[in-house]
Amino acid sequence: MACRSTLKSVLIDLSGTLHIENEVTPNAVEALKRLRSTNLKIKFVTNTTKESRRILHERLTKLGFEIKQEEIFTSLWAARDLVKSESLRPLYFLEDAAMEDFEGLKFEDNPNAVVIGLAPDKFNWNNLTTAFRLLLDGAKLIAIHAARYYKAPDGLSLGPGPFVKALEYASGTKASIVGKPSANFFRAALDETEPTEAVMIGDDVKDDVHGAQALGIKGYLVKTGKYRDSDENKIDPAPYRTVNNFSEAVDDIVSSLKKDS
Amino acid sequence: MSQKITAFLKKSIMAYEKLLQSPIRGFLLDISGVLKDGSQPIPGSVEAVKSLQSAKIPFRLVTNETSRPVNKILSTLNMLGYEVTEEDLISPVPAVVKILKNDNLRPFLLIHPEVIPDFGDIDTSNPNCVVMGDAAECFQYNFLNECFRQLMGMENPILFSLGQGKYFRDEDGLALDVGPFCKAIEYATGVKATVVGKPSPQYFLDAVCDLKLQPNEVVMIGDDIVSDVGGAQNCGLRGVLVRTGKYMRDRDEPHESVVPDGIVDNLQEAVNLILKHKS
Repeated sequence: MACRSTLKSVLIDLSGTLHIENEVTPNAVEALKRLRSTNLKIKFVTNTTKESRRILHERLTKLGFEIKQEEIFTSLWAARDLVKSESLRPLYFLEDAAMEDFEGLKFEDNPNAVVIGLAPDKFNWNNLTTAFRLLLDGAKLIAIHAARYYKAPDGLSLGPGPFVKALEYASGTKASIVGKPSANFFRAALDETEPTEAVMIGDDVKDDVHGAQALGIKGYLVKTGKYRDSDENKIDPAPYRTVNNFSEAVDDIVSSLKKDS
Repeated sequence: MSQKITAFLKKSIMAYEKLLQSPIRGFLLDISGVLKDGSQPIPGSVEAVKSLQSAKIPFRLVTNETSRPVNKILSTLNMLGYEVTEEDLISPVPAVVKILKNDNLRPFLLIHPEVIPDFGDIDTSNPNCVVMGDAAECFQYNFLNECFRQLMGMENPILFSLGQGKYFRDEDGLALDVGPFCKAIEYATGVKATVVGKPSPQYFLDAVCDLKLQPNEVVMIGDDIVSDVGGAQNCGLRGVLVRTGKYMRDRDEPHESVVPDGIVDNLQEAVNLILKHKS
């Protein structure tokens, strides 16, 4: 067998993997405790355009999970890191709840970047034309993620992706997508850990599993949340493991550690 | 004269030779950016259209404008001094209405409210297709979302886009046209739009047919190098670019993919050049 690298980090998706709406997936709370009893680093990674880290943390705590706010890494947080590190002054297409993550990074004048999240009230011709003119002047286009649509209470609704595509087409600018499945997102979530020393657990075969595996992270596909029959056959290479739920993924990880030791 | 300028002149004369090498019997003229900018006429264009009319050279005004009804487009032109009528105008709304009637389609209209009367008695109940035009300030999330849901709910979704322009020159700068919004809906739904308007070949060919001419006898003059010039060239017309409207030297001369059959300062220069050559 080829040289086996030691496992150091576990990345875990939130919605669809740990919980579905207000329901915890089978034995997930206990499974997380089992995982914590190992020495593995844990990060919770999610694509969100509307919820700050604080709001997500509150929800997970309420569901019974023991999680620290700093362990949550979201697409909004990745955008925040980018804005900070490049000293950008963005025009934001984000709702107020999401803007919490951008504390100290709000600017009134002279924008040199456009950040697209999900803000139905702001997606209109006037605002998009303003953004388009900024892009023509060389502003950077940042997309929180590029989802086509999402399930709103009253039915399927347009996600941020279509508006990112609109601005790309009009301006000839290519957007930097900061959320899953972009390689930079996984790299930032891993921090110091090498991709080959990490696993990712998620219910989205493309964004979670395929995105992570493209970087060398092993992908666990869980059959909860948005999983649909035979999703595991939709990507090449196939998921490292396909399991019934988060708890089974943890069992597999814990037993593989024992084998190694 | 510097060598650079001499070389440039030589090059442009060569370009005109290509433009003038076979007979020109008719014209297609873009409106916005060629005849007028916003509510202002482009200097020399009123005279240029008059000289075509007195030389009895047929032309059609081929526009992609769908944010205003046909009668308003015409009344603006008349106010600016152009003596043109509905017969001179080719615009996407009448063209798509013809298609809807032929194919028995009932559209959901993502259209500027002012333009809805141009759809006449078309049945819009229980839609089985979507028509999107330049809705301008009416491009709002909810309206686009409704259009998205309509398409997602259709068994055989059909999407018509009236033109595919990226942007146009508004009073205070460049503004988004229907194209980006169409791309947004295409990306969200996976449905590819059928373009009615420039640069669709059928649209140019229908206009040429309306002139009772062949494509190689007709010159299209526009300010959009891709949609007007490239679009016309793709179906056998000659395409001339004007340096008015949304023309931008940095981007258009030379352009990454389209080489116009001629580039002129404005419509008047093109018409003078061609009339002079004819006589």
